[in-house]
Order: sequence, then structure tokens, then C-alpha cells
Amino acid sequence: MSGKRISMVEKSNNKRQRVNQVPKFSINDHHDVLVEILRRLDGPSLCSAACVCRLWSAVARNDSIWEELCFRQVSPRPSLSLRSVVSALGGYRCLYFLCIRPVLARLPKLRWTRDQLQLSLSLYCVHYYERLYVGAWLGDAPPSSLMFLRKPVNVV
Amino acid sequence: MKRGHGETWDPPPASRSREGPSMADKKKVADDNNNMDDELLAVLGYKVRSSEMAEVAQKLEQLEMVLSNDDVGSTVLNDTVHYNPSDLSTWVESMLSELNNPTSSDLDPTRSCVDRSEYDLRAIPGLSAFPKEEEVFDEEASSKRIRLGSWCESAGESTRSVVLVDSQETGVRLVHALVACAEAIQQENLNLADALVKRVGTLAASQAGAMGKVATYFAQALARRIYRDYTAETDVSGGSFEEVLQMHFYDSCPYLKFAHFTANQAILEAVATARRVHVIDLGLNQGMQWPALMQALALRPGGPPSFRLTGIGPPQTENSDSLQQLGWKLAQFAQNMGVEFEFKGLATESLSDLEPEMFETRPDSETLVVNSVFELHRLLARSGSIEKLLNTVKAIKPSIITVVEQEANHNGIVFLDRFNEALHYYSSLFDSLEDSGSLPSQDRVMSEVYLGRQILNVVAAEGSDRVERHETVAQWRIRMKSAGFDPVHLGSSAFKQASMLLSLYATGDGYRVEENDGCLMIGWQTRPLITTSAWKLAGGGESRR
Repeated sequence: MSGKRISMVEKSNNKRQRVNQVPKFSINDHHDVLVEILRRLDGPSLCSAACVCRLWSAVARNDSIWEELCFRQVSPRPSLSLRSVVSALGGYRCLYFLCIRPVLARLPKLRWTRDQLQLSLSLYCVHYYERLYVGAWLGDAPPSSLMFLRKPVNVV
Repeated sequence: MKRGHGETWDPPPASRSREGPSMADKKKVADDNNNMDDELLAVLGYKVRSSEMAEVAQKLEQLEMVLSNDDVGSTVLNDTVHYNPSDLSTWVESMLSELNNPTSSDLDPTRSCVDRSEYDLRAIPGLSAFPKEEEVFDEEASSKRIRLGSWCESAGESTRSVVLVDSQETGVRLVHALVACAEAIQQENLNLADALVKRVGTLAASQAGAMGKVATYFAQALARRIYRDYTAETDVSGGSFEEVLQMHFYDSCPYLKFAHFTANQAILEAVATARRVHVIDLGLNQGMQWPALMQALALRPGGPPSFRLTGIGPPQTENSDSLQQLGWKLAQFAQNMGVEFEFKGLATESLSDLEPEMFETRPDSETLVVNSVFELHRLLARSGSIEKLLNTVKAIKPSIITVVEQEANHNGIVFLDRFNEALHYYSSLFDSLEDSGSLPSQDRVMSEVYLGRQILNVVAAEGSDRVERHETVAQWRIRMKSAGFDPVHLGSSAFKQASMLLSLYATGDGYRVEENDGCLMIGWQTRPLITTSAWKLAGGGESRR
């Protein structure tokens, strides 16, 4: 969408005249603002937002949004070196879908301290390593070390 | 199960009269005992003290179960003599004791085998549950009697008594047959053992679930032992099939993950301030333990130390150099993490061949860690091996040694004890693998094959072939202490991570983490299965951090 909108206006003498309209604000023009808004969403809302349109889906792939989602409840906030590690392992979005979301689904009242964070990252590491380096050796089988996280739980 | 007084009382008097002496309606006036007799029963003619109601109810249930098992000759019970049948308590007592001590002597002298395992199998729910009992064994053709002696007492005390239903009954028979077969082997009666093992095979085939699978593996192992057909599994590809199986075992259940994560946490705490870390892994396999450690080191405040890994593996075949390839994979991973990495692979047939010089340690600059997951017990097969290895480890002066071993005594001298221990242990393991209501995956099937190979080794192999010589942590403690190591307690961080890991598993309420004097044990239901422990050199030399 272009910034300026030129619209046709009917004048009283039936002649159409071009008028420059004041540009309306469209969020789609301001991706950084969009990112800031999406960062504050929770998981399900963020996933819904990513389904709105192609633009939003592309913007929602911004890893900082998912970083916020993953570690919002962690206190103290993890150090910046975590960012490079997680990026190397496949990014926060994958971390969220593979580890954090199943963990939260399984243990909704989990208090995120350093130990829980460490375990999630360890599992993510194992998955990454298995996918890249072990999978082929096992013969086309997809890595299944995190399969246990996907199995349904009988919640009584 | 609940023992409601009201529920259990109504039918029994009528049904008991079939087997026992006639219970013609005798209307007796209730005697005045110290406790009041139950009034309702008194009307029917039975004298039972109110205080004894629960106990008598239990005993009647046991009787009912025994009588519904057609193997047990109800003729025995018909022959028992009862006095004062209105006194239900003593009547039931006499029935039960009659079953325990059959007075008929037309059988050959019987031998009993005592199940001396430490762990109470009744705690295992599901089809693999069976009580521990003494078994009276006679010639194979005649019916078997089930001794209820120890079972009754223990069932009486425990509020968790298992109520056996028909399908579990075949499980009970299956276990009887297995133990009887092992006992026959112990007595060198191989013909009997052969007949029994075939019976076990047929029983196991009809038993669904974990119990059937365990029994099948044990039956195969017993058969191999009878025919002395154990050949050490030699892999052409240098042990890589074993590694594949262990990989599936890693994926399908938490035991290896638990082992790796708790050992890693102990290592992390030990090298907290080191600038250079050197880890010696006595059994590298696929190196699944080290990516997580490298990631944790990368996130250390103050930056990662430089990480050097010496991996030990089986001898390589000419075409492949899997150790070096593994090192390369780990190096790539380390580069992604931003951790300085160095790798060396040592191929050796047996760990006792290692010499301190092979490790090329740099004691002035690096902090040394030795890690062993399921490797130490193999050395118990040859005398002197474990001592040599521990001396070698002492000589290189590590800061910490992390040891993960199975929590079971499969190294007893008497075959029958080993067999019983192994039966209980692997029953628990298979039970934990049995996911409720999900289809068997390749992971699970391969894990069962992995465990089946261990079962085969424990049961059928002897001498230096028998490498699965598991020992309990108490035994390892003695061994390590006498070799000159002091225990290092694993911290609460490791415990919390382990607890969280187990709670993520769908069957998570079956897994348990316990702390045992500084060691962490993961178990299924009440049975500990794997133990992680940490050690340092005794005498507390300066810790170079």
C-alpha cells in the first residue's frame, strides 16, 4: 500500500478533482511497530496473528518476538549470550514449538528458574544434534528424542 | 482395594459351604467374648469378633482366589478337618494353613525355592505384578501347589495388596515356571529345565504386555543357557549395532537422558571456575551427552572455557573411523556454540588396557573430568581389570569422576539369585517402556531388543563373556572407597532438572527420582533402576579449578 492516498472527490459542479488525502496510518507499513505489538502477545494469539496474512506471517518469523515469548516468565532474564546459542541451535521460534510450548502444556504452573531453563536448552541441544548428526546415521528416521513431549498426557 | 465390611460379607458364607465342611445352619447363641461378636453374622450362625472382621475378610478373599485357581486341588481343602466352623476366623486360618502345609505325602520330596529379591514385585501394577512366594515343586506332570505362606502375611499387612484377576493369574504361572526353570538349572537338572523352558515359551506367547515380552526374553536366555549356546555377540561393524540400539533406548525413555543431564550438572558444578576443561569419556558411543554440556558451558557467566574431549571407543574396523567422525561432528557443534574444542579418540578393546600416558593430560592448565556411563560394570568380568582402571584414573588426578550404573545386583555368585534379581529388574524396565495405549514405535521395539541383549548376557553367559555384571550403588561405594575415592554429593540443581525431565513424560507419574546419600537414582514405581554418582580423589588434594 502506498503512503499517500489519492482519492477522487465529487465536486458540486460534477467535475472530479484530484485531492491529496492525509495519509492514514496502516500498521502494515510499520513493521517495527508491528513487531513490538506482536512481542507482547501470548502463544496462541501470536500463532493466530501469524495466520492473518502473508505479511504478518513473515513479520511473525522475527525471532525476537519468540524470544520474548519463551523467556517472558524467566527471572532473572537470561544473558545475551543465550541469544547466540539459541540462534545457532535453530532459533527461538523452533525452541518455542519444540520445547517451551510442550513443557508449558505439560507443566502449566512451572516456575522458570535457571534449572528449568537449562533443562529445556539441553533438550533442544539434543534435538539439534540428533537431527543434524545422528539422524542420517540411524537411517532416515527423524530425530525422536523429543517425541515424549508430543505424546498426549492423560490428565486426570 | 477397599475392604468394606458390608460388601464382603454377604456372599462368602454361602460359597464357602461348597468346599468346606457343611455349614448347616447352626443357630448358636453368640458367645460373650472380650469384643462383641458381629450381630448380623451371629444371626447366620457365625461367630466373628468385630475387631477381626477386616482380617477375616482378607483371608476369605485369599481363599477365594486360591480356590478359583483350578491348579490347586480343592481336594486338599475337602480333606481338611475343621472344628468349630462357626468361628470363621480360625476356620479360615485352618484352611489357609492346610494349603501351606499339605499333609498328603504321596508326592516326592519337594524342594522349595526362596525368592530372596529385595524388591517387592507387588508394587508393579499391571500384568507384570506377581507376589513373592515360596514355591513347592514336584514332578512336572502333577499339579502345582501354590504356597501362600509369605504371600498371605505380606498381603495382609499391605494396604496395597494386588487383587489378582484371571489374566494376572497366567502371569503368576509364568513367573513360577520361569523361576522353577532357573531353579532346575541351578540344580543341574537340565532335562527338567528343558521341559520347563518350553512351557514358559508357550505361556509367554499368550501373555500380553510387558510381562509376556520379558518372559520371552528370559525364556530364550534360559534356553541358550541350557544348551550352552552362548556366543559373544560380535558385530562386524565394530559394535555399531549396539550403538544404534542404545540410541533408540535414549530416545524412547528417560533413563539415559537422566544419566547424561545429572552427570553434566555434576561436571558443571565441579568445573565452575576452570578456564580449560578436559573430559575423558570412557564410553563415547554417539557422544549424546556432550552437546548439552557444551551449551551449558557456552552460557556460563564469564564465557565458556576451552573444552577438550577424549573419547574412548571399541577398536575400529579398517574402513570406518567412527571415533574421528564423531569428533568432527562434535567439533562442528562446538563451533556453533562458540566453544573452543579439541578432540581425541582412543580405540581400545578393554578399558583396563588404558595407561595414564595415553590421555596426555596437562595437569597444570586443565581441570580433568572422567565420565563413565554403563562402562565400569563390564570390567568386573575379568579379575583385576577394575582395579587397574581405577588406578589409572587415580594416576591422572581428575577433579571429578561421574559414574552412571544400573542399580541391581546381577553379579551374584549363585545363578538363581542373579536370575531372580534380573527378572525383577527387567520386569520393571519393560513395564516402564510399555506406554499406555500407544502403538509400539520403532524406538520402543529397538529398546526392548537392547534390553533383551542384556538379559541374554546376564542369564546365559558365564566367565569373561558375562559382561553385564551390574552392581548396586552400595557395592560400588565400597569398591570406590577402597580404591581411594571419596563421594561427591550431587546438588539440588541436578535433582530439580531430573524431576522436571521426568514430569514431562506422559507416564511421568511412574518415574521417580530419589536422592540416596548424595547419589541420584531414577526408578520406575518403587524400584530404583539407574544411579548417578560422583567421586573425587580421597584425601582432598588441592582442587585445581
